[in-house]
Amino acid sequence: MPVNWGEYRAEGCWDELVAANGGARPGAGPLLATLAGLTDEQMREHRAAAELAIRAMGITFTVYDGEADIDREWPFDIVPRLIRSDEWRQIARGLRQRVRALNAFINDTYHSRRFLRESDMPAEYVLNSREYRQRCVGIDPPHGVWAHVCGSDLVRDETGKIHVLEDNLRVPSGVSYMLENRGVMKRVFPELFEHYGVHPVDDYPGLLSACLRSLAPRAQTAPRVAVLTPGIHNSAYFEHAYLAREMAADLVEGQDLVVGDDDCVYMKTVEGLVRVDVIYRRVDDTFLDPKAFRPDSLLGVAGLVRAWQAGNVALANAPGCGVADDKVIYTYVPDMIRFFLAEEPILPNVPTYRCVEKSQRDHVLANMRDLVVKPANESGGYGILIGPQSTRKEREDCARAVRANPRNFIAQPMLTLSTAPTLVAGNAIEPRHLDLRPFVLSGERVEVTTGGLTRVALRKGSTVVNSSQGGGSKDTWVIESWASDREAR
Amino acid sequence: MSAVLSRVAQRTYWLGRYLERGDATGRLVTVNANLLMDLPVRLPLGWYPLIAITGAEGLFRELYPHDAAQSERTVCRFLTSDARNPGAIIRSLAAARDNARNVRETMPRSTFEYINELYLYARSTLPAATSRTLRGEALDGISRRVQQLEGFLSQNMLHDMHWEILRLGNHLERADMTTRILDVRSADLFAGRHDLAPFEDIQWRSVLRSAYAMQPYNASVRGPVTAAGALEFLFKDERLPRSYLRCLRSVRRSLLSLPRRQRPLRLCAEAVGMIEATDVGRLALAGQSAELHAFIDSCQARIGELHAAIARAYFDVPAARAGSKA
Repeated sequence: MPVNWGEYRAEGCWDELVAANGGARPGAGPLLATLAGLTDEQMREHRAAAELAIRAMGITFTVYDGEADIDREWPFDIVPRLIRSDEWRQIARGLRQRVRALNAFINDTYHSRRFLRESDMPAEYVLNSREYRQRCVGIDPPHGVWAHVCGSDLVRDETGKIHVLEDNLRVPSGVSYMLENRGVMKRVFPELFEHYGVHPVDDYPGLLSACLRSLAPRAQTAPRVAVLTPGIHNSAYFEHAYLAREMAADLVEGQDLVVGDDDCVYMKTVEGLVRVDVIYRRVDDTFLDPKAFRPDSLLGVAGLVRAWQAGNVALANAPGCGVADDKVIYTYVPDMIRFFLAEEPILPNVPTYRCVEKSQRDHVLANMRDLVVKPANESGGYGILIGPQSTRKEREDCARAVRANPRNFIAQPMLTLSTAPTLVAGNAIEPRHLDLRPFVLSGERVEVTTGGLTRVALRKGSTVVNSSQGGGSKDTWVIESWASDREAR
Repeated sequence: MSAVLSRVAQRTYWLGRYLERGDATGRLVTVNANLLMDLPVRLPLGWYPLIAITGAEGLFRELYPHDAAQSERTVCRFLTSDARNPGAIIRSLAAARDNARNVRETMPRSTFEYINELYLYARSTLPAATSRTLRGEALDGISRRVQQLEGFLSQNMLHDMHWEILRLGNHLERADMTTRILDVRSADLFAGRHDLAPFEDIQWRSVLRSAYAMQPYNASVRGPVTAAGALEFLFKDERLPRSYLRCLRSVRRSLLSLPRRQRPLRLCAEAVGMIEATDVGRLALAGQSAELHAFIDSCQARIGELHAAIARAYFDVPAARAGSKA
C-alpha cells in the first residue's frame, strides 16, 4: 500500500487535504480513503492512464530549445486539489471585487486620475511604469473595462489564509489546462467523482465568448471574434488554438489582419476582406502595432491601435491595462478597493516592500537572505531571487540591480505556500507546494472560473510552480460542502 | 458558412496535397519494386524512371553524383527517407504535419495527434525502406495511416469550407499523381520486341496497382489488361476514385461550394473538356509513346494552371482594397 496518511507530514505548512494531526480536512475524507485503498499496482495504472490520456488528448506546451520547438506533454498530478464550495464562494467574491477595482483604477488612470491625485500612491509610480501607455489617455473601452481576462495567483499561508500573490492582467495563460485537467481526471479517476458533487468547469469557453461578444462595437447578432496569436512558436499556442476552437473564433496571426483606410480591421479570407469586431489578443501590448509601439514587431498589425482608438474594434485585454499588472502598483490594490468601491478588501495581499522607497529598500538590502526579490514587470517566474536559497554572488548581483533601478523591484517575505499530497517518483505520495490561478472575466458582467488552475512545484521543497521551470498541475475541484459531512468509509 | 482565413485555407489545401503525395509516392516505390521482380532481368527497366516522374533528376545527380547506376537502394532512400529531397515521403509528411499544426483549431481535435503519429511512424520506419524485405511493411503502414486519417476526417469533420479546401488539395494532388503513375510506363519499352509481348500486360497491371485500380479494372472491364484499357480506365472512368477525370470532377464539386471560383472553375472545365475530347486508348498504340508522354505533360500543365488560379483566388488576398468601399 503506497499511502499511509498517518505518516504523511507537511512540516510547517498548511496542507490542503491533510490536517496537522494526520486526519482528513473537511471534505477530503473520501479522497484520502480512496487513495489509501489503492495498491501500488493500481496507483501505477492510474498514473500511466493519465500520461496516456494527456498524450492521446494532445495536451502540450511548447518550449523552444534553441533549434526547434518541442511540444512537451503537460505535467499533471492525479491527486486533485479540493476546495469546499462555501470557501470558494467567498474567494470568488473577493476576486470579483478585486478585478472591479483594478478596472476602475485603469480607467481612472487614463481619464480623470482621481486615484493618482487623492490616494497615498505617488502618481509617478503609474506614470513612470513600463506598462503605462500615454496614447491610451482618454479612450473609452466598452463598459469601462480594460482588463477583460485577469488571472490572479492565490496562495495559502501556513495558517490557512488565502492571499493574492499577483494579478496577471496582460495576457494571462493557463485556462485551457484547467479545462483539460478535468478531462484527464474524468478518464483516469471516474470512481472518485461518485463521492463528490464536483462543480463543472467547462462553461469557461462559453463565458469567454459571451464576454468578448459583449464588447463588439457594432450592434449586430453575430460579431466576428478572432484570437490573435504570436504563432506556433509561442509557448501558449496550444491554448490559443484550444480557445479559438472551443469558441468557434478565428485563430489569426498578425499577417492575417489589415487595417483599412476607414480605420476598421479586416481579416483576409477566401471571400476577400471580412471585418473583425473583437480581437482577443494573446500578443503583448508592445508587439500589437508597429505603428503605435515597437516598430520592429512582426507579430502585430499596422494601424490596429488606431482602429481601437476609433472604437471600430475591441481589444481584449485593452492596451495599457498592464499598468495594473505592475507589482509596485499591486501593493495599492487594497487601497483601490476602498477608494473606488468603498468596500473592505475580501482577499488580502501578501506583505510587500517597495524598493523605490528608501526606508523599505534599505530594509530589503539588509535582509535579502530572508526575502524574495522580484522584478515589478516580469512574468513566468523569471528574474526572481529566492533569498534563503541564493548564493552570495546572486544576492550581490540582485542588490546591484535593485540600487540601479529601485522602481523595478519589490520584495516579499518568504511564503510557506500550502501543500497537497502529490504522487512523486517511486510511486510515493508526498506534500508539494502549490498555488491557484483562477481567471476572472469582465465584460458586460464579471464572471469567475469555478476554481482555477492549480500549479504544483514538483521538486521537493520548491515553491516555483511555473511549467517552464519544473512545475506541474492538478485538477481543482470545487466540491459541495455537504461532502465534508461524509467521512471515509 | 463563415469565411475561412486565407492563411488557413492555404495551409489546409497543402495539408490535403501533402498527405496524398506521401501516400502516392510510397505506392510508386512499391509498385516499381513489384514490377521489377516480375520482369526478365535483361530488360533495361530500373529505378531511374521514378526520379524522372517526380521531376527530381537534377537534385538526384547533385546528391548522388557517384551512383551512376541509380541503384535500388539509392533511389529508394532518395524517394522515402532522404530529407534533402523535397519530394521524399518524409518531407511530404513533415510538411503535412507542419500545416496541420498551424490549423489545428479548425480540425477535429485528434487530427493533429494522428498526423503527428503518422509522421513519427514514417520517421522511424522509412530508413528501413532501402531494404527489400522491410520496405513493403513500412510503406503499407504509411498508406494505411493516411487512409485512416482521411476516413476519420471525412466522418468527423464538419463538411464546411475547410473541408472543401482540404478535398481540393487532396483531389488536385491525386489527379497529378495519377498522371505521374501513368508516365512511369509511358516509355515504349517493348517497341519491336515481340518476344517481350507477354510482359506488356504485367507492366500495365503494375500501373493499375499503383492507383489501387487493379481489382476495379477486373471488375469493370472483365477482360485482359491492355495498354489501351488501362489508359482509358485510369484517365476517364468516373467510377474509379483515383481516375484523372473523377478527380477533376471532385475538384469542380469542391469549387462550387467556394466563393470567387470563376477562374478556377473555368480552368477545371477546360481540363475536363480536354480529357473528354481525347481518345486516350489511341495513345497506347505502339509507336505513340512520345505522344502519350506529351499528353500527360499537358495534363500536368493544366493542373499547374488550376493550382495557380486557386492560389490567386484564395491565398493571396490583396490588402490594398481594405476600407475603400466598393
